[in-house]
Amino acid sequence: MELQSFFEFLVLTVGFYMAWNIGANDVSNAMGTSVGSGALTLRKAVFLAAILEFGGAFFVGSNVSDTMQRGLIDTTLFVNDPNLLIMGMCSALLATGIWLQIASYCGWPVSTTHAIVGAISGFGLIIGGSDAVRWEELLTIVFSWIASPLISALISYLIFSVLQRKILYALNPIESTKKLYPFFVFTVFFVFSLVLLFKGLENLNLDFSLSQVILIAFGVGGIAAGVSYFPVRNVKTPGTYPQCPSLRPQNIVSLEKAAKHLQRVQSSSFEEVHDKVSNLLDQVSSLAQKIKKETNFSEKASDYKTVEKMFVYLQIFSACFVAFAHGANDVANAIGPVAAVLDLVKNGSISQTSVVPSWLLAFGGFGIVVGLATWGWRVIETIGKKITELTPTRGFCAEFGAATTILIASKMGLPISTTHCLVGAVLGIGFARGMKALNLGMIREIILSWVITIPASAIMSIGVFYVLKLFVMEFFTS
Amino acid sequence: MLTIARLFGKSPFSPLQTHMKRVGNCIEKLTDIFDALPKGDLGRIGKLAKELSNLEHEADLTKNDIRNHLPKNLFLPIDRSHFLDILSTQDHIADKAEEIGLLLSFRALDMEDDLKDLLKELYQKSAETFWQAKTIIEELDELIESSFGGLGAEKVKNMVEQTAYLEHEVSEIQRKILQNLLSETRNLSIQGFYLWESLTKELGSIAELSEGLANKIRVILELK
Repeated sequence: MELQSFFEFLVLTVGFYMAWNIGANDVSNAMGTSVGSGALTLRKAVFLAAILEFGGAFFVGSNVSDTMQRGLIDTTLFVNDPNLLIMGMCSALLATGIWLQIASYCGWPVSTTHAIVGAISGFGLIIGGSDAVRWEELLTIVFSWIASPLISALISYLIFSVLQRKILYALNPIESTKKLYPFFVFTVFFVFSLVLLFKGLENLNLDFSLSQVILIAFGVGGIAAGVSYFPVRNVKTPGTYPQCPSLRPQNIVSLEKAAKHLQRVQSSSFEEVHDKVSNLLDQVSSLAQKIKKETNFSEKASDYKTVEKMFVYLQIFSACFVAFAHGANDVANAIGPVAAVLDLVKNGSISQTSVVPSWLLAFGGFGIVVGLATWGWRVIETIGKKITELTPTRGFCAEFGAATTILIASKMGLPISTTHCLVGAVLGIGFARGMKALNLGMIREIILSWVITIPASAIMSIGVFYVLKLFVMEFFTS
Repeated sequence: MLTIARLFGKSPFSPLQTHMKRVGNCIEKLTDIFDALPKGDLGRIGKLAKELSNLEHEADLTKNDIRNHLPKNLFLPIDRSHFLDILSTQDHIADKAEEIGLLLSFRALDMEDDLKDLLKELYQKSAETFWQAKTIIEELDELIESSFGGLGAEKVKNMVEQTAYLEHEVSEIQRKILQNLLSETRNLSIQGFYLWESLTKELGSIAELSEGLANKIRVILELK
């Protein structure tokens, strides 16, 4: 085998493995909530996620991939010996793969993004010296890692606060949901198309000016809001409630107590007495039920349930939004280095102008979909069961905040961690008193995982680099 | 990597409600004791008081469990110390119930005819205040759903006001009993007087604690 084709084969294999890994582990963050709240069946969720992950990777994936292949290290330093850079990129990929395996075995909350950035800059630093690393770019990226969870926390905090004041705190929640629903739909579609279309979709050769983009986004949002208006209008609104309910909760309690005592008699009696008591028990419990219904107790509770049900659809949209953004940002982790190696093998250097080829983006997207289909659906199922607390209203706000942040970062070519953005968004809702209980220990764990991941993957990629070099010298240079 | 799943801590709100339910069991047992009181069967009352003691212990176990499993880094929609405060108020109610049970089992109550009905009334009102507070604690689920505002909060606010009114009624009855006890014509032994006086005080404090509990929920509401 030629050395060149060996590299091509190696890098494509490892790149595919990385894409598989991303699809297997991280897609669950987007779709888990919708499955957990029962908004989507597992099958539908996997299907939707596959389409959107692929779409995100294919249409918006190139920006971050560019950063990965030439933004982190100064590739011009390696012009004389492109093989060094090829081996470096290969080992960065390999090291990231190994590190991810170790981390997921130990259950650490590490991010693929951090690992690959650490690995690439690590070998760049050792092989090319400190000049090889583009410190400015690296600092921007590290800054974006800190900023992105905060920004998504802020966005979801704000949108949840709006939802709180206008819907949850309203005297008639269903009525106000009906009024506000089109606005939420508008916001989602407006922001989505705005971020998506701004600076164009390179792969489709669409390039709009800012004013055009705003106009189109306005149109898309408007149409979506208009479409949502009709089904929402038909949701039944219960009448207004009396301000001061004349309920006697004690009555219900007493009746339930009576039912309990009757149950005791029922279980210890026979024949005629037993039948009579059973009869009484039925009567008492149905009376308690009736009073419960007549007082505002259950009615009000079901009000919020209706609101949650209405938000299910918005949650599905926002989940799709996350899946798309995730594909756009994370595909680069797998194919950024691959693109660099293929470019080097073909041209001997990384051109500063060429974009990542579309077929490679599709390849990465395909890898993610395969990961999703073979393993990811299982993780979606698990996560869906565990995060039922992210109800449609909360899930919608969290996902909207996270997805917007991720998509903006993708457009800026910043590789960030989607998981950490989502964690930030959930915390944002927690700060608005929207969550039962959040484990703040996770923040410490995440920060710790940053601090460990970057040097660990850097060192590992250097190690892999030397092993690879030995291997290549052994088999190919003679 | 289930980072997101691990972000969601174990909510202490349903254990809090379980604890309140256990406290409710104590109050129910206390009802049994008061029902048995007119017969003056000290043996039976003693037995019931023992059962009440056991129930109180059960509630204590739940309370300790909550305290042990509330890690420092758990982020709740209400203040952590406030949460623990609510828990300890609930605990105090159970303690009071146990104390009353014990008081009644030590010595037969001299059943003064004119006070009998007042005592019954006092007990029933106190229990009612407690049940009202318990309903408020049960409303916590819905409060979380509406993130402590809106309809749920309005409703709870009304319930808190009702609790306060019930407590007011309790103290009126309490005053009446005390006035009666201290009247010139009353001729009670010192032990008998002590028992009556303590009983009145403790029953009143169940209502007071329940009202306090309701008010503690009141301050976590987001009212416009």
